[in-house]
Amino acid sequence: MKNNIYTLFYAGVLGTVCSLLLTAVASFTAPYQQANKEAEKNKNILGVLQVPYPAESSSQELVKIFEDNVRLEKKGELEMYRYVPPKDSGNQETVAVGFEGPGLWGPVKGFLALDKDMRTIRGVTFYEQEETPGLGGEIAAGWFREQFIGKSIVDQAGNPGIIISSSEGEAPNKVDAISGATMTCDKVQAMLNEAISSVVEEKQ
Amino acid sequence: MTCQPKGLCGGKGLLTLKEGAWANNPLAIQVLGICSALAVTNRLENSLVMGAALIFVCVGSNLLVSLLRKVTPYRFRMIAEVAIIATFVIVFDLFLRAFYWDMSKQLGPYVGLIITNCIVMGRAEAFALQNPPILSIVDGIANGLGYAVVLAIIGLFRELLGAGEILGYKVLSAQWYTPNQLMILAPGAFFALGIVIGIFNWIKGPEPEEKK
Repeated sequence: MKNNIYTLFYAGVLGTVCSLLLTAVASFTAPYQQANKEAEKNKNILGVLQVPYPAESSSQELVKIFEDNVRLEKKGELEMYRYVPPKDSGNQETVAVGFEGPGLWGPVKGFLALDKDMRTIRGVTFYEQEETPGLGGEIAAGWFREQFIGKSIVDQAGNPGIIISSSEGEAPNKVDAISGATMTCDKVQAMLNEAISSVVEEKQ
Repeated sequence: MTCQPKGLCGGKGLLTLKEGAWANNPLAIQVLGICSALAVTNRLENSLVMGAALIFVCVGSNLLVSLLRKVTPYRFRMIAEVAIIATFVIVFDLFLRAFYWDMSKQLGPYVGLIITNCIVMGRAEAFALQNPPILSIVDGIANGLGYAVVLAIIGLFRELLGAGEILGYKVLSAQWYTPNQLMILAPGAFFALGIVIGIFNWIKGPEPEEKK
């Protein structure tokens, strides 16, 4: 009996000390983590909208460039980031919508950029993902994301949806999947299609 | 097990260091904790950070487990070890997220998975529970270092052959070397680890009892 009480007491003390330590470290690092996430998000929106910005920009500079160039528009549930470039710059007007959903290991979040016609993809980016490095993690790599450029968000019959598949055959709305990352690709396809269907709905 | 005045713990420190980092290398000889060794070694930088994480966790958890070894109830010891290890791992992960964001994104879940790394748990259970704190720190450094060095070797060769780069700098010119994607992917990790384990064992020679 005495032993049990001692064990319980020990567990209580150890648990409390560990959780206090973790709470302290978590609240100390929280603002830094938050700033990283915010800068990452802005950078990704700027990148996917193809807004030119200097590579060595600090977080504050990024925020300023972001506020100068990007407008947030809300249509119902849908949030769209619109970039209207200056007339002489030669850049195209672009619209980005966010998408998110569960990946294989954790949440996956990103942006999908579309042309002014709201049909053709101008780019895809992922700003938060914890997929397996080298396999599912490749969704964030250039070669995978570049495949989306110029693809259509509707198939030939006009049904909305993008296909990420390793099967044979070409289609205006199909990109190659990553070998060894079927789960991640399926989940990314699902979250992209969710965003696409809300875009298509909003357009009608 | 009292420390002699001569040397670090009467020469035991050096022995422990040699044992952990070389003669009983957790990765190359005991083949423990290879899951993370296979997963994060596609770049040298990832390997180095992962090695640093393991050294930090091993040293921290060994020290605490050793300090608490006389007051920890025997049947509660494993729960206590895991709680201590998890605390150190999460602390490292939080700092990585705050100050080394890009690397944290690269390593993904593997930093958190150090909690279940058998090297850390093994050292706490097999060494820190029976030995004084200073010696346990040495053991933590030795085993962490043993893991980190093997990881760095694998990471160096996978990045060099798989991308033609070292730490992100182009070393092998694309004109005459076509990067071998296989080395970046999972099979390359198995080949590299197998070869490193082979070389380690070849240099070390067979176990004494196998010599007969």
